[in-house]
Amino acid sequence: MYKTPGFISFALRRITGIALVLYLFMHIWVIGSAVGGAETFNERLNLFQQPAFKVAEVFLLAAVVWHAFDGIRLLIVSQFKVTDTRASQFYAVLVLAALVTIAGGVPILLFMLNGG
Amino acid sequence: MRVFQLQRISAVALVVFLTIHMVVVHYPPFHIDFSRILERLADPLWKGIDITFLFFVLIHALAGTYAVLTDYESIAKFKRPIAGLAILLGLIAFTWGALTIWSFQPPV
Amino acid sequence: MSNNGSQPTVTVRVQRFNPDIDKKPFLQEYRLTPQRDTTILDALHEIKTHQDGGLTYRRSCRHAICGSCAMNVNGRNMLVCNVPLRKHLDRRNRVTIRPLPYLPIIKDLVVDRSSFWEQYLRIKPWLIPPDDIPEKEFRMSPQEVAALQNAEKCIMCGACYSACTVVATNKKYIGPHALLKAFMRVLDPRDATPGERLKEVGTDEGAFRCHTIFNCIDACPKGLDPTKAIETLRQLAAKRQAFEAARRERQKSLAGPVPVSE
Repeated sequence: MYKTPGFISFALRRITGIALVLYLFMHIWVIGSAVGGAETFNERLNLFQQPAFKVAEVFLLAAVVWHAFDGIRLLIVSQFKVTDTRASQFYAVLVLAALVTIAGGVPILLFMLNGG
Repeated sequence: MRVFQLQRISAVALVVFLTIHMVVVHYPPFHIDFSRILERLADPLWKGIDITFLFFVLIHALAGTYAVLTDYESIAKFKRPIAGLAILLGLIAFTWGALTIWSFQPPV
Repeated sequence: MSNNGSQPTVTVRVQRFNPDIDKKPFLQEYRLTPQRDTTILDALHEIKTHQDGGLTYRRSCRHAICGSCAMNVNGRNMLVCNVPLRKHLDRRNRVTIRPLPYLPIIKDLVVDRSSFWEQYLRIKPWLIPPDDIPEKEFRMSPQEVAALQNAEKCIMCGACYSACTVVATNKKYIGPHALLKAFMRVLDPRDATPGERLKEVGTDEGAFRCHTIFNCIDACPKGLDPTKAIETLRQLAAKRQAFEAARRERQKSLAGPVPVSE
């Protein structure tokens, strides 16, 4: 594989995209179970409040954030044709994604550690 | 070209809807259970927002999956059946999801 | 220590593959003592002349204009005739030369470029002038020439095509080289068929298959920008009919004074 920042950004975008599609259909299924009433829903949801799933939730946040910011980067490149700043764009997305993941992930982990 | 344009348009829409979703649903308090959903989904405005969100998410996810699959030469031969399946899956998921959201009533 | 320009001995690792003999490609090592300005092509000549006459590679002009010697050096595509060997040594004083990636290997560093040429011919890489040709020259403004972004400098070396991840997965993708040339023709006011060209490249085998990975820009030895060209093609493909009408209008005055831009 021809390894450049552009390739890494593409690979991450694709991997997070696939992961998010799988998550999406699972999410629809879980939330859709609200039809069955409070008990069914809460039961299903409580499964996903276990610590392992909380940690996975941070990864989910990271995936959403990376995919969104890299996607916005593509929108900007398309609209303004700014190819000469491509290296800085890549690092900017990395930094922003890391910041937002930490900002969102720390409360999730704290919440989990405090017993939920 | 159309798939690409759908992808980009739904992406822009999702930036907006996803931000709303994250702030409203996942902002503190972090605990999610049935009662929290109850409060929101009784309101037709929120039903509308969620249904629109679902609409754009499904477009983006299915167009994206189609694009990923047809990138590979050995799979690209089947792009018409794959497109058909994606549209079918999208229609089913959207119809079921939208109806579920719309008809949701807080139990008495 | 005075230095007459010579360097310590380095290791040159070259990927070899003879389809008549070898089951799969392997790396062969050679030792060389390059001068300060020895290019990688010089090194290959040196190896072939004095160490291993069977080493096979393409080369011609040796000054970056023919496009024959594009290869993969330490993981990046480049022309080997105008890069100093010294600049591409890794921490262990080695340089690794492989053929252009993602293309079938004919022998050693020579690859089969058929798909490259096929995609190039597909976009009709020649000017299609209007029916009524002016008595004297076609006239273009400096701005119209600048809009072509020096795309005519392309030497068809294949570095961009072979660096492209999309090409790696799908040989039906038109490719950065051909899309750049198509862009050049579409934007040329002398060309009478921008509509047909946009229809050919504005598909999901063409400009809309690009994933904006930028490997093509990194690889180009002439500093060209296929990604920018592809983004422009995408925008034009969406407004094809308006663009065609504008071209027809512009061609009415091709023999006259150049348009003045504000």
